[in-house]
Amino acid sequence: MTTRRGFLAGLAATGALPANGWAEAGAPDYLAAALFPDGSFRLAGLRASGALVFDLPLPGRGHAAAAHPVRPEAVAFARRPGRFALVIDCRTGQRIATLEALEGRHFYGHGTFSRDGRTLFTTENDYGAGRGVIGLWDAGRSYARIGEMPSGGIGPHDMVLMPDGETLAVANGGIETHPETGRTKLNLPFMEPNLTYMALDGRIEDQVTPPPGLHRNSIRHLALRGDGLLGFAMQWQGDVTTHPPLLGLHRRGMTPVFLAAPEPQQARLQGYAGSIAFSGDGSHVGITAPRGSVLHLFDVDSHAFAGAHEIEDVCGLGAGASGFFFTAGTGLTGWLGRGRPARVAQAGCQWDNHLVPVA
Amino acid sequence: MMRVFALCLALLPCAALAQLPVVQQVVDRHILPGFQTLAQRTEALKAASGEGCTGLETPYHDAFDAWIGVSHLRFGPTEAQDRAFAMAFWPDAKGFTPKSLSALIEDQDPAVNNPVDFAEVSVAARGLFALEYLLYDAQFSTAGEDGYRCDLIRAIAQDMDRIAVDILSDWTPHYAALLTAPGPDSRYRSDEEAAQELFKALSTGLQFTSDTRLGRPMGTFDKPRPKRAEARRSERSLRNVILSLAALRDLAALLSEGHPGTAAELDAAFDRSIALAERLEDPDFASVSTPQGRFRVEALKNSIDEIRAITATQLGPQLGVAAGFNSLDGD
Repeated sequence: MTTRRGFLAGLAATGALPANGWAEAGAPDYLAAALFPDGSFRLAGLRASGALVFDLPLPGRGHAAAAHPVRPEAVAFARRPGRFALVIDCRTGQRIATLEALEGRHFYGHGTFSRDGRTLFTTENDYGAGRGVIGLWDAGRSYARIGEMPSGGIGPHDMVLMPDGETLAVANGGIETHPETGRTKLNLPFMEPNLTYMALDGRIEDQVTPPPGLHRNSIRHLALRGDGLLGFAMQWQGDVTTHPPLLGLHRRGMTPVFLAAPEPQQARLQGYAGSIAFSGDGSHVGITAPRGSVLHLFDVDSHAFAGAHEIEDVCGLGAGASGFFFTAGTGLTGWLGRGRPARVAQAGCQWDNHLVPVA
Repeated sequence: MMRVFALCLALLPCAALAQLPVVQQVVDRHILPGFQTLAQRTEALKAASGEGCTGLETPYHDAFDAWIGVSHLRFGPTEAQDRAFAMAFWPDAKGFTPKSLSALIEDQDPAVNNPVDFAEVSVAARGLFALEYLLYDAQFSTAGEDGYRCDLIRAIAQDMDRIAVDILSDWTPHYAALLTAPGPDSRYRSDEEAAQELFKALSTGLQFTSDTRLGRPMGTFDKPRPKRAEARRSERSLRNVILSLAALRDLAALLSEGHPGTAAELDAAFDRSIALAERLEDPDFASVSTPQGRFRVEALKNSIDEIRAITATQLGPQLGVAAGFNSLDGD
């Protein structure tokens, strides 16, 4: 079973060792948003043991979070099309700052810090123009807005800082929405998702698009291995009678690889992958499919399908020990190594997508 | 509302569905008649366009009416080959329809002479909304040469009829059987999953009418957007709302048949919405520009959101729609 030491070794391998400040916050290994039985939406700090080290109230439904690389601070993002992001001191549960989306912008629910922790980057919708932007915020203290840059597409969702510390990888999902029309998708026939690599000053260095026939595959969520291999999870917006791959791997300068399970397992996903992660030892990559209540694993080197595990309403997924740590809408937290998924704990809340490693 | 819904899901045991007839009834009494009507109306439109390119308003409206009767059934046959988008490409946030039509007309694109080629033309230049431009828009109704424009109208009408026939033939009997006879290796593995599909059609249909058909022209209080109303050129924005409510009411009544309390609440809520809509007397929602007009449209929108709440908190659990927190997410 997972031990904290083994887990830290796993994180160390990906260069994501929690820094000291986080120990004071009860040293959570992950952050996750959840709906609690009293109806409150909260951001929780979780240990790999399943223990809840804190839970802090949010003004609305959360989505993902970003953990500051040094200070025990977390930014909890509203679910799109939300307009808030809260910076929380995870030691005290106090709100340090509130990020309010600019006029004409809303958050997509993801963000990441620069390596030195001075800048926070957020994915946002410039909905008047129907284009994605990356917002820049001064994470020094005030979290003031300091600028923005085009995301290189429409609907930027997840975003990670590459291991060089100088490049952002952005998943531009390709789907245009406007807050006046809720979550209505405005451009499905013409959507053009891409994976954009950009310098921290916004200069676009590389863009990767799905091959013809897969342009309705919205690239949403990302996972990064320590060596720069990027995994991306997709949500299919095309004909539901076809079951295209929902997982891709990309290394800069190479052609992306798309991985799918054999039928009928692939059909089981219902075209929807919620989260993606590499295993702690980097040998496997997994995606969760809450609609299919199943987790799919692939061997990273051989690209071979490495099994399906049924877990009801599974969604959050992160690296843990040598394997994976996962959460489900049923409140379950669990660990998955080489064998069957093992239950770690059963919380009284409903875990929301996502599970964010404290890095 | 999401919070209430999620809590109810958490508290209620997963009600067993065990009502096979519900799905069968929806197929027999709602889905198939709807698509049969659509195919009849598009055939009439095609026939009329074959006679000439004037006087097409009535068959256009008839076909549009029929489309609104099924436009919430966005699964299976309508989603293959982008048929629903090719039939009705809206909303068109970036103006693809006028752009694509202009390009066809300027180039005198010969695709209009061959149905196989025309089926490959951008969905934005096909279907009801492209036809609406050509029949009602001051610029497009006189654009280019009369002969080419007429060929284009005819090509659109033919293409719509082909799509309507294709949808219907996919439904009968293939997709109807998938829905009514689920199996372990089938598209629907249980009656519950088939009912979920229909429930989803109801809830997303209500959402589309509220958020998009009404929300889009409403814009914000400071910046209403009457020009964004659906099919405003042919002044059928309000008509589409009323017809969609009628179609959704029909589906809701069938789905709630085994639950008289919910059925009565839904019926009363639809009554209120339809009455509010019929009192609007604002065919293209031009009134949203005035505070008073916008207020009335907003009241209609709120009344539809009440139907959505009943659907989510009562009908869903009663149908055993055991969707989890994350599987409903879509994010």
